[in-house]
Amino acid sequence: MTLLLMVSALPAQAQLRVFACEPEWAALVRELAPDAELTTATSYLQDPHYIEARPSLIAAVRRADIAVCTGASLEAGWLPMLLQRASNPDIQPGRPGLFFAADHARLHAPHDHVDRSMGDVHPEGNPHVHLAPDELPDIARALADRLGEIEPGASAAIQGRYIRWRGHWSRMRAEWREKAKELEGHSVVVQHSSFQYLLRWLGVETAVDLEPKPGLPPSASHLSQLLAEPNLGKASAILIASHQDPQPAEWLSEHTGIRVVVVPGTVTGEGPTETLGGLISEIIRQIESAASGVSHGGL
Amino acid sequence: MFKRFVPFAMLPLAITSVGVVANELNPDVSVTLDGYYKQNDTALSHREQGFGLGHTELSLSSPIDDLFSGRLTAVFEEHDGESEVLIEEAYLQTNGLPYALNVRAGRFLSQVGYLNGRHMHEDDFVERPAAYRAMLGSHYYDTGVRLNALMPTPFFWQVGAEAFAGDQLTEGEEDIGVYTVNTRFGGDISLSQSWQLGLSWLRNRHAKLAETGDGSHDHDHEEDHDHSHGAGYTGENLYIADVVWKWSPNGNNREQQLTLSGEYLYADELNQFAASDDTNEGWYVSGVYQFAPQWSAGVRYGEVDLQEAHGDHFHNQTLDETDVMLSWSRSHFSTVRLQYTHQEATGFSNADNTVMVQYVMSLGAHGAHGF
Repeated sequence: MTLLLMVSALPAQAQLRVFACEPEWAALVRELAPDAELTTATSYLQDPHYIEARPSLIAAVRRADIAVCTGASLEAGWLPMLLQRASNPDIQPGRPGLFFAADHARLHAPHDHVDRSMGDVHPEGNPHVHLAPDELPDIARALADRLGEIEPGASAAIQGRYIRWRGHWSRMRAEWREKAKELEGHSVVVQHSSFQYLLRWLGVETAVDLEPKPGLPPSASHLSQLLAEPNLGKASAILIASHQDPQPAEWLSEHTGIRVVVVPGTVTGEGPTETLGGLISEIIRQIESAASGVSHGGL
Repeated sequence: MFKRFVPFAMLPLAITSVGVVANELNPDVSVTLDGYYKQNDTALSHREQGFGLGHTELSLSSPIDDLFSGRLTAVFEEHDGESEVLIEEAYLQTNGLPYALNVRAGRFLSQVGYLNGRHMHEDDFVERPAAYRAMLGSHYYDTGVRLNALMPTPFFWQVGAEAFAGDQLTEGEEDIGVYTVNTRFGGDISLSQSWQLGLSWLRNRHAKLAETGDGSHDHDHEEDHDHSHGAGYTGENLYIADVVWKWSPNGNNREQQLTLSGEYLYADELNQFAASDDTNEGWYVSGVYQFAPQWSAGVRYGEVDLQEAHGDHFHNQTLDETDVMLSWSRSHFSTVRLQYTHQEATGFSNADNTVMVQYVMSLGAHGAHGF
């Protein structure tokens, strides 16, 4: 099998073709294999739960050597259809060409019992694992191993880049740890569990969630109920992602005076939020500035 | 690795096993409940006036092994107080053959046209366009085999062929009564826009010798034959062209999406008595705007120009239909729809205008949707 992969990889100038379901995994692949030809199915302005298995994506999976996705049912509404329509023998469940990040992380809040009255809850746990500072190294190592398996010729170079990435990540993580000390005890209002891993890691509490149930858009009745929540008073910010409709957050802000902070839910491909490390630094900076605004009496 | 047992009914979303439910040995079960209230009977309709059940489905699907997946869909319908159980899908499907080939065998929905290969519960309107109801029996499914190939081009290009028994469309003697050829292209225009174009040809070898009635001009039972799910208006050749264009700001179709689609259907060589200018023709255009995560509004206009067989001659029939609809989805799994349909016809005694209220609820596993 390995021999076969080597042979088939050689004529194509050994350029690895990668299909990434979300931009965070494209960014990680870029760190490990900068020469890879990348197609990213979604952007930071899109909700990754709701993408359509559109023709361009089917064609991209058809041509790819490996697909790198989140898993934990995040892409359940579109990835199975893509895989079936693309019928790429290398990219199928259980084969090395389909990599799920969530398989290599300890997921938060798995459920033994799930039914739809609870909303869009994933039994495997929260899939938004790309903002978990402690889980990323394991995911990156597994991805480096997998990319090396798909393209054995580049395996040593990929491992080298992984070790460099790992060192850089550890230094950044130490900085975030420092900043977390100042943020501890603060709380924020959220919409969906997109930032949950990072908030937990920082020790920032979730005051309330704008979604009445996971996956359901904030309703007027739910928002007015939230006004009576005792936890709301302490919240430093309303933290939402770029792909979310800002209106519910703005409504709550008008009624409570809590500041709305909009940050990208994933990497944006440019500026300080180009890489996952940069994105986490930026989110922490934004929460920090909102929190200091509150503690200094809204300066 | 820990293997946790989760009863199948409790698995949300995950359909054909995206790795995470790979230890699950029970098939995914899904049920679609479709019920409605219709104010008046309308022409070429499969839904009678009053309260009724529409396309109620029970579906089982699962990977079989690493090469095959399978699916069984039974449909429960009621007509004039009689219950029917129909096998709409019972097929095996390959997962990734070399050269991106794809084989499906058994009973399944033909991939001709844009709507035909889709499940009815994904539709944006209560019923399919008049052209589909007349010429394909709303959705043409049959027993046979399909081979698809996806070309290694930078844009999406698929070619496929199917061979069917053909009896679900027209009863006949041939072992292979129907075959189809289909090709599809598609791509993205920008981050916000994508498109797909399809061309299909369906050859119906049973059409030539189809039962054409005794030629009597008794119109009383004219609509009864529509209740069988075969198409009322067939021809030896059916050509379909379809186009779909979708737009959503930044490609974020969770918040907003506009879908424009249209199809043109043309059938000739209607039966042994048909002259060269005896043809069936139909088309529709549809625009649906999902203006908020839970709300959609849409309008559709379509026409058909048909030849109804009466023994050795034909009667011309035409129907123009306009539909306007508003739908609300609490979650991805529940939809309630309000629709108004306006019909203008010649040769149909029961054309009428009607208001309809419909619900489509999906229980259990929910398959991934196509474009």
